[in-house]
Amino acid sequence: MTTADSHNGRRLTARGAKTRTRIVAAATDLMYVKGVRATTLDDVLAASGVSKSQLYHHFDGKDALVRAVIDNVGERVIERERDALGHVSTIRGLRRWRDTLVQSNALRHGAYGCALGSLASEVSDHDALARQALSRLFTEWQGLLAGVLRRLQDSGALPPEASADQLATGLMAALQGGYMLAQTAHDVTPMATAIDMALAHIESLSER
Amino acid sequence: MRTHFAEVLARESACLAGVTDGAKLASWRRRVVEELMTPLSPYEFALRHTGDVPERADFLDRWRELIAETVDRLLRSGTTGDTDSSSGRTRRADVDAQKTAMLILAALHGGSTLSRIAKDPWPLNAALDLALAPFTAAEDDSPARTGTSSLIGNIKP
Repeated sequence: MTTADSHNGRRLTARGAKTRTRIVAAATDLMYVKGVRATTLDDVLAASGVSKSQLYHHFDGKDALVRAVIDNVGERVIERERDALGHVSTIRGLRRWRDTLVQSNALRHGAYGCALGSLASEVSDHDALARQALSRLFTEWQGLLAGVLRRLQDSGALPPEASADQLATGLMAALQGGYMLAQTAHDVTPMATAIDMALAHIESLSER
Repeated sequence: MRTHFAEVLARESACLAGVTDGAKLASWRRRVVEELMTPLSPYEFALRHTGDVPERADFLDRWRELIAETVDRLLRSGTTGDTDSSSGRTRRADVDAQKTAMLILAALHGGSTLSRIAKDPWPLNAALDLALAPFTAAEDDSPARTGTSSLIGNIKP
């Protein structure tokens, strides 16, 4: 069985695909915990248990590995968010979504932040491909939030003149900024406050 | 404290002290957006998430405090968007200066990250439109609002 390697177009054997997955999984964990910059290819070799030649067989260097990590994290986050937001059509549902994110971040005292947001804040300006991949993923995530807001408009819970896309982007920024503030403070409160304030504003639009 | 943190705090301390009404808040916002969209500016550098430095926590606390003082001053002077009684019984009494400052700081932080990867100030402006809504509802001149949608709105059939 062969699988396409999305980055170099090579066909991978089942064993090759397994090795690649192992490298990407180790790099994903390391970059989440240590950060992108602080993670070296030697760290990835040690954590994944693959050889240097195996790693270079799959990835030209760190930039290529970072892009694979972005794809991996992005896929996971988008899948999670599609499940969480795909059918939400009430403010209460949006608050439950908020509760899940805040509670899971509270377990770690906000230590690591959002896996996708951390990559976004660390990705270097010179890597346009990584930047664009992240930008597409955030656009997709914001699209899910905008979908919720449009369903709120359909049911009359949000006025039709409100811009769903703009509010979704504002809400995403509050969420991501909240994650970053919580990470710095080692306390989830700033994240909870930022999302609550953003949701309160969205809710207030229907009261006007 | 690292140079870029100190520089941002010095400038913010001076600029925010002069924010006494909605128009001055709008010009503060325009300047900060410009700073954050300038690669390698002290602002952009200060909000980049580079490791867990204790100075970062101190810097963010102090910037938030400066924003909270400004929000409090604007609230006490009656600068909210809701001067029109028909648009709401809002909000001045409901607005909590500390929590609003937290949202504004989160909007700057998260919005600048989204804008940096998109190479477009739109996400940051959308974030600030939401965060500054209690003060701008009546003015409605924020950049993200006066975009394509208002142009479309002006087109007569």
